[in-house]
Amino acid sequence: MKIKHIFSPGQRKYGVFPIIIGVSLFSLIQILNAADTRSTAAPPLPVLTPQVPLEITVTGTKPTLASLQQDFDVFSWQTFIALNWPANADGTPNTNLTIGQAPNSPVVWESYRESRTIFLPDGATPAPWGQDSPLPDVCKKFDAKYLPPGTMRLTQVGKTANVLDESGEPFKTGPLIDQNGQYARFAIMTNESMFNYILTNKIYSKEGQKVFNADANFPASSTTTQQLGSIMIKTAWVKMGGKYDPAKFYTTYALVYNNPAEEPGVKPSCVLTQVGLVGFHIAHKTASEPQWVWSTFEHVDNVPTLGQKPALPAYNFFDANCKACKVNEPPPRPWNPGTPYTKPTQVERVIAITPEAQQLNASYHQALAAAVPDSVWLNYQLVSTQWPTNAQSKVDPTGVPAPSFLANTTLETYIQGHVKQTSSSCMACHNNATTTTGNFSDFTYLLQRAQ
Amino acid sequence: MNTDMDNFIGLSAVLTGFNQSVLAPELDPVDIKSEYLPFFTQKIAQESNNPLLVGQIFQKYAALQAKGLTSQQIGEAMLDPANGDSFVLACRKLIFMWYSGAWPTLIAATPTEPASTVSDLISENTYTSSLVWQVMQSHPMGDSNYRYGYWAKPPVPLSDYTGN
Repeated sequence: MKIKHIFSPGQRKYGVFPIIIGVSLFSLIQILNAADTRSTAAPPLPVLTPQVPLEITVTGTKPTLASLQQDFDVFSWQTFIALNWPANADGTPNTNLTIGQAPNSPVVWESYRESRTIFLPDGATPAPWGQDSPLPDVCKKFDAKYLPPGTMRLTQVGKTANVLDESGEPFKTGPLIDQNGQYARFAIMTNESMFNYILTNKIYSKEGQKVFNADANFPASSTTTQQLGSIMIKTAWVKMGGKYDPAKFYTTYALVYNNPAEEPGVKPSCVLTQVGLVGFHIAHKTASEPQWVWSTFEHVDNVPTLGQKPALPAYNFFDANCKACKVNEPPPRPWNPGTPYTKPTQVERVIAITPEAQQLNASYHQALAAAVPDSVWLNYQLVSTQWPTNAQSKVDPTGVPAPSFLANTTLETYIQGHVKQTSSSCMACHNNATTTTGNFSDFTYLLQRAQ
Repeated sequence: MNTDMDNFIGLSAVLTGFNQSVLAPELDPVDIKSEYLPFFTQKIAQESNNPLLVGQIFQKYAALQAKGLTSQQIGEAMLDPANGDSFVLACRKLIFMWYSGAWPTLIAATPTEPASTVSDLISENTYTSSLVWQVMQSHPMGDSNYRYGYWAKPPVPLSDYTGN
């Protein structure tokens, strides 16, 4: 700072008063210099590691709601980094690479089991972890041997497997139509710990759930045992092309399957196509958070925030030129993903991303860019993390979530807001989940899919 | 020195019988207290035509608390008619507000109608946060955090709801 140079050697003869002034100035300079050091010394960048954190690291000596929110948001980012780390063939992280490298290779979570391969027709036993599952008949023309690595099979056009499903009906749920007039696609996957619990307890079938006849209690991550517990992933995708530039998305090839079981009038069809990631939920059960930790990420170009002037020239799910478009309204029925073109959904974010989360996003983006300057993961941001503020509450099994509401614009498009029992709250909603026998299913609706 | 919020929560705990940790949890994403305090302050000032009354109530509570009196003793002292009608009525309205999530208006008797009380809900948050549901060991209509099938099981003890 230039102020350092006001003390030249010729100026050191002071009387008492000048000495006082001089001391004061010196103190001021020290303060300014200290401030200067703080402002110029960049805070260390977050460390990028392939290790999924087993528990939240509480940083404050006297934690507050705000400080803990930050800790949980860091946990979310660390988990996101680890799950999107380039994977070896067996799904373990490739520690010779860092996140963002080898962008065409599968990442860790892509080895997780898609729900379709767990809850099979007639309650059949699913293939063990690590073994591939049969394709839907109409997709069998694509021999699995020749599919690109990590090819997914996206069969869902709603967040729930069947938009006529009971868990979807109380809400104004429906398909999400992208700016090319195509249905967004979704997938729900479980990690090995969660899958093995389902397999071991035979709760992949209705019959098995009858025999089990108890509340589900999935394994939790533990720092004591150093074991990774249960993780669920929900992803949202759009087909690449048209208004979507694949360079801006994490992409994969998927067998996009129009499932006739989802809606009346849907004809089975299957195409292999490139899709880009637009939404990403992570639910992770830890020992201290038996209500799970709910993290949600989105593509940065998804939508503008309601009440704010759109900042981007184009969005993934919003057209600034469409003044007559109703915001956050599902398309009219009938819903059929095989329709060649459907009017795009006009979506805005109802609850703004907090300035603190935006700052954390910027910090992680810096770290990602430092690792791989053109990393595709720079295009993804944390929306927020929902966590239990009183996990041991005896009177509120949801654990009093913070924030009270959380939505991903691609996964809870039509239920954003602040209305209890109506607007999206991960924990409040999933707290109602049961098995097919009416037992508590430990915050997952997946067990309802058993046949 | 206690803040207005400290006094508000302390007094509310005394008058409602709920523990402060229930009325104002350390981690409090709902934060209903921050809705109640300004509402209570404004309403009492307006209805009593005395903008100092709430401050006087808090001062009295703080003084009683500083003497180390029990909650029962403090409560009795706060509701003592010697404090004046407006003072006691404000304390009673505070209890009503916490328990119902609504604000009461007293309607004086007329030659043809008896005295009555009408209440206006403050907000949807105060409705779901009102203490009456806790005392009932139940939940507000239209808003339950209990799990499927809870009705077939006995509720947890009342003390878990009140924190006392």
